[in-house]
Amino acid sequence: MHTEVKVPRSVLLSVESPGRYVGGEKNQIIKEDVVRELAERGECSAVRTAFCFPDVYEIGMSNLALQILYKLLNSEDYTSCERVFSPWFDMDRKMREHDIPLYSLETKSPLYEFDVVAFTLGYEMAFANVLQMLDLGKVPLRAAERGADDPVVVCGGPVAYNIEPMSDYFDAVFMGEGEEVDLEFTKVIKKYKDSGKKDRKAMLREVAAIDGMYVPSLYEPEYSSDGKFVALHPIDDTVPAKITKRIIKDLDNVIYPTAPVVPNNNIVHDRAYLEIFRGCIRGCRFCQAGYITRPVREKSAEVLLKQGVEIEHNTGYDELGMLSLSTSDYTQLKELTDGLLCAFDGRHTSLSLPSLRIDNFALDLMEKASQTRKTGLTFAPEAGTQRLRDVINKGINEENILGALRLAFMGGWSTVKLYFMLGLPTETMDDVKGIADLAKKIEDLYYDVGREMGVKLRRPEITVSTSMFIPKPFTAFQWEKQNTMEEFLEKQKYLKDLLKKVRSVRYIWHGVETSIWEGVLARGDRRLNDVIYEGYRTGSLFDAWDDNFDYDKWMKILADHGLSWETYARNYEIGDSLPWDHISVGVDRSFFLKERERAYNEEVTPNCREKCSACGAACFKTGVCYETR
Amino acid sequence: MRQDDRAAEMTRQQHLTQYVCRTRFARRGALSFIGHLDLMKVFERAIRRAELPILYTQGYNPRPMLVFALPLGVGIDTTGDWLDAAMSVPISAEEFVAKVSPQLPDDLEILECIAIDEPERSLMSVVTYAEYTIDAPGISAPAMKLFARETVEIEKKNKKGKIVTSDIRSQMVKPFEDSTEDKIHIMVCAGSTGNLRPDVFLNALCRYEGYPEDKAADAVITRTALYGGEYPDIEGIEGLF
Repeated sequence: MHTEVKVPRSVLLSVESPGRYVGGEKNQIIKEDVVRELAERGECSAVRTAFCFPDVYEIGMSNLALQILYKLLNSEDYTSCERVFSPWFDMDRKMREHDIPLYSLETKSPLYEFDVVAFTLGYEMAFANVLQMLDLGKVPLRAAERGADDPVVVCGGPVAYNIEPMSDYFDAVFMGEGEEVDLEFTKVIKKYKDSGKKDRKAMLREVAAIDGMYVPSLYEPEYSSDGKFVALHPIDDTVPAKITKRIIKDLDNVIYPTAPVVPNNNIVHDRAYLEIFRGCIRGCRFCQAGYITRPVREKSAEVLLKQGVEIEHNTGYDELGMLSLSTSDYTQLKELTDGLLCAFDGRHTSLSLPSLRIDNFALDLMEKASQTRKTGLTFAPEAGTQRLRDVINKGINEENILGALRLAFMGGWSTVKLYFMLGLPTETMDDVKGIADLAKKIEDLYYDVGREMGVKLRRPEITVSTSMFIPKPFTAFQWEKQNTMEEFLEKQKYLKDLLKKVRSVRYIWHGVETSIWEGVLARGDRRLNDVIYEGYRTGSLFDAWDDNFDYDKWMKILADHGLSWETYARNYEIGDSLPWDHISVGVDRSFFLKERERAYNEEVTPNCREKCSACGAACFKTGVCYETR
Repeated sequence: MRQDDRAAEMTRQQHLTQYVCRTRFARRGALSFIGHLDLMKVFERAIRRAELPILYTQGYNPRPMLVFALPLGVGIDTTGDWLDAAMSVPISAEEFVAKVSPQLPDDLEILECIAIDEPERSLMSVVTYAEYTIDAPGISAPAMKLFARETVEIEKKNKKGKIVTSDIRSQMVKPFEDSTEDKIHIMVCAGSTGNLRPDVFLNALCRYEGYPEDKAADAVITRTALYGGEYPDIEGIEGLF
């Protein structure tokens, strides 16, 4: 039925972590027999999906979307789903040397034999790896080059909302949450297979007619003579002019992987996950994740408790992570954590509770949740001054932070990590200085608490971490100019010098170069397709790993294509067309514009539970928009 | 935690009554490509899924109390390795096998289990010899020649990173008579007093007998048994506690 790719032992034993390339984990699903029987009985065609994650196994296996959709696409009689990850440089080289095609972990089938090759895209820097996987899997890179028997190549995930820089490579793109739409799509593929794969174009038209699906080849871009993006035109009237994302209305009754695949080798986030809600009530103006996942929809504590116990039992993991954009905003957090802690009593299982807003309840919870000692506390003030925090609508002030830390220091915590962004709209050097001032205040507070309590405390560990602001589509700051390399470096150096004077602070920063390039990709248009191909052809891979990223090369390729950093990082006029204007995440453009004005006026917008600001997400008729306030 | 630390931990915790399930297991296929610590974790999780009353180590980072007889290198199959799982109440061998077996990934299998109350010696300290089979085309003839040598000197890095030569001949105990042209069956020294890794044996085979390196690289290596005692007076691990 399918080709089984054989990898010699000598190849596996010559690469780093060969466990990445062999599968065989607990809870993996092999539907080979079911699918074969179905086909032999001639009842209907089976649709085989290769679920691809464009990074190494250890990162991909930490991704919840993969586990959810893996279960979903293995749930129907006629569907099967297998996993494929990006081979690291050493394995990439060996596979080319020995002419070994990229294969799935479950049945070791080559990528080109699948009906569907589906990517989940979480970060732009993985683009080159998409090309690597298709290339190694012997799938024609561009949608236009694929014939009747080639796989249908699709993608989804947060980055899919502006897929224009990669539009040539995908036959179709999923906008939003996949739990429903994925099966609507596989039905079309099944029909296509049943018909003997006669008319690929007609099949793609049918896919384009599914709500939330975008078929890039049915649109044509237009650019102005001075190099600006003008519009993306549907090729005829039957093609939807606007594609609105899909969401799941009721998370309690949607499929959830309570028996996820448990890796045999150590992965990045080696724990089980419980997704407690989707969306975010906060409305931070830079945050794409917050806007694209609106509206907030919670799962009930009752369902979560049941699923949490099942997951722990089915995986044997000793840690269960709560997953959401802001743990503390879950309205039934106490019921849920009490229930789980009670269920896990004596079982040496701990809870991990990221992004908790620190108060007495949280500190108490953290102490109870962890089986080990006190871990560090994390804060994300994002900006150093209240003025700038108001600009970005980060709903916390200095008193909140210092008040929380006072409690924590009194409770014996001494490790604090603070996240900030440099280059936010309207930022001045005073705002940058504010970061150092805040760090100093925290250090002082720590010793004050020690004195008040009459104990001599050891030196605290305060980590200040800065990343670079990247304007993203579907945010209030989608029109903003990004800081230049020089501006970023100047701010970074200024802050570094100031922080040298605060003894207990360690300063770490994210690479400026990768942030600049990510900025280009995030707001890119179709002209970047060739740029990314050229980068891949000349050896770029795993750009999300700073060591591998070659800034000068990418910039040169960009220039060779008559484009520049300014083409994408400039300040966009309100009247400018944006490459993602044909996509809707439910939040209106007019709301983003209003938020942008409020940002310039340093006005805070209340969160979704305080007051509805009519962003547009109520169009989905569910979630926080329909809660009684 | 390192194996030695675990052993020490187990000794320290002797005030806790331990009921040990001494288990022989096999691994092959996908499971052979993971490292020793990963394999340990795979067993830990399987036993947790099986909901058996395993004891945990004390201290900063409690782990289920599992001790392996001898670490297994990446790429090596086994049909003869042993581990001890310490329980807080007596668990029969039958129960252990019945509950843990279904929880293991496909390429891992429990072959037998013996329940032991409070063993006196740690499993790791008893291992002195190991048996391997090595499947590779035409391997027997050169291997026999290697066994016929008086000395087999190899170079290796010592703890300071300096290259030193050492003679492994004394660690090559014997070839077995059931060896065939393409499959050699050998006994070598193993454990903390002197351990000959099969890949080191293969390297020596390439170096001294001109066995092709590409064939050596694709050899299927299987550990088939572990022993304690002093050769020829040796004994299976199952009886040493």
